[in-house]
Amino acid sequence: MTTNVYGMVAKRHMHQFGTTSEQLAWIKVAASHHAQWNEHAMLRNVVTVQEVLDSPMVSDPLHRLDCCIISDGGGALVVVKPEIARQLKRPLVKIMGAAEAPKGQMGGDVDLSYCGAAWSGPAAFAEAGVKPADMKYASIYDSFTITVLMQLEDLGFCAKGEGGRFVMDGNLISGVGKLPFNTDGGGLCNNHPANRGGITKVIEAVRQLRGEAHPKVQVPNCDLAVATGIGGLLGSRHGAATVVLGRE
Amino acid sequence: MSERKITAPANNPESEPFYKAAEEGKFLIRRCTACKKAHWYPRAVCPFCFGETAWEEASGKGVIYSYSPMRRAGYTLAYVTLAEGPTMMTNIVDTDPDSLSIGQAVKLKFVPTDGGPPVPCFTAA
Repeated sequence: MTTNVYGMVAKRHMHQFGTTSEQLAWIKVAASHHAQWNEHAMLRNVVTVQEVLDSPMVSDPLHRLDCCIISDGGGALVVVKPEIARQLKRPLVKIMGAAEAPKGQMGGDVDLSYCGAAWSGPAAFAEAGVKPADMKYASIYDSFTITVLMQLEDLGFCAKGEGGRFVMDGNLISGVGKLPFNTDGGGLCNNHPANRGGITKVIEAVRQLRGEAHPKVQVPNCDLAVATGIGGLLGSRHGAATVVLGRE
Repeated sequence: MSERKITAPANNPESEPFYKAAEEGKFLIRRCTACKKAHWYPRAVCPFCFGETAWEEASGKGVIYSYSPMRRAGYTLAYVTLAEGPTMMTNIVDTDPDSLSIGQAVKLKFVPTDGGPPVPCFTAA
């Protein structure tokens, strides 16, 4: 059922904007490039676009490799007062902007071309006083490849409908593209502890800002990052949350 | 491929008239008496303007807004936009999934459930 709903979002995006399965596959390819360096990742093999397309169809147009893994796990964040943070003698990361937004079933006015991040993203960037183009790194919740594409567009990294072209040719791979994403391998390759899949996004963003990501995927001089996610179902009802983080 | 057993829908006082009509083969929706807009799923209060709403029988005609066939499980989930306006989540039944397309005309077909009232699905028009 979950995959079906995301499948409908992908199908609609393809119909409306000409997005292709090859373009969606690039998102998984980028995640796998990062996961190869993460010894804890469940899937460490680098995959190709063709391998994604050749994996079994689950819910058309989403293949098995368009879907995240399912794992155990969890995470925690310690948020402290500035004076305590300074005593810890650790690289400091501050919350610059944050926003949440629900998207419901709209009484039947269904529009699958956007998600709640279309509200939470711009609000978080506005509070932080920065633009998507300023981001050195992005953690994008990735239950499915289409989940990433939708949020990239809604956060404003590219125009609506341009997500397919944006993610192509390794644009999300650290050291290769313009927007390194999910450098731990994300939910697509590293871990996805059910409804705790969001916190791992914030954790990897903090690692990047502290310069503590794996050297092979660490973004040089990473001083601004965003983490965003949705909970619920992309194609029916969900909540979206976005946080903009900065290095002190 | 429509051999899948569909779980009986949860019923409550608000939805009871809908399923009672469904058992008689009638597909009801609700429309606002104030703003005149139809919505889905049926609610006592209009989700757009909070006005009073009333039942009406829908035409059962619609077009596919989006769909996703799960071939191995043997069903196709879809959003169908009704002729009356609202878009509803449903299943496309008795139709080869390879023959489907977004924008395609479909018509209502009630499908039996496991021990409950039938639920509205759609098939190629």
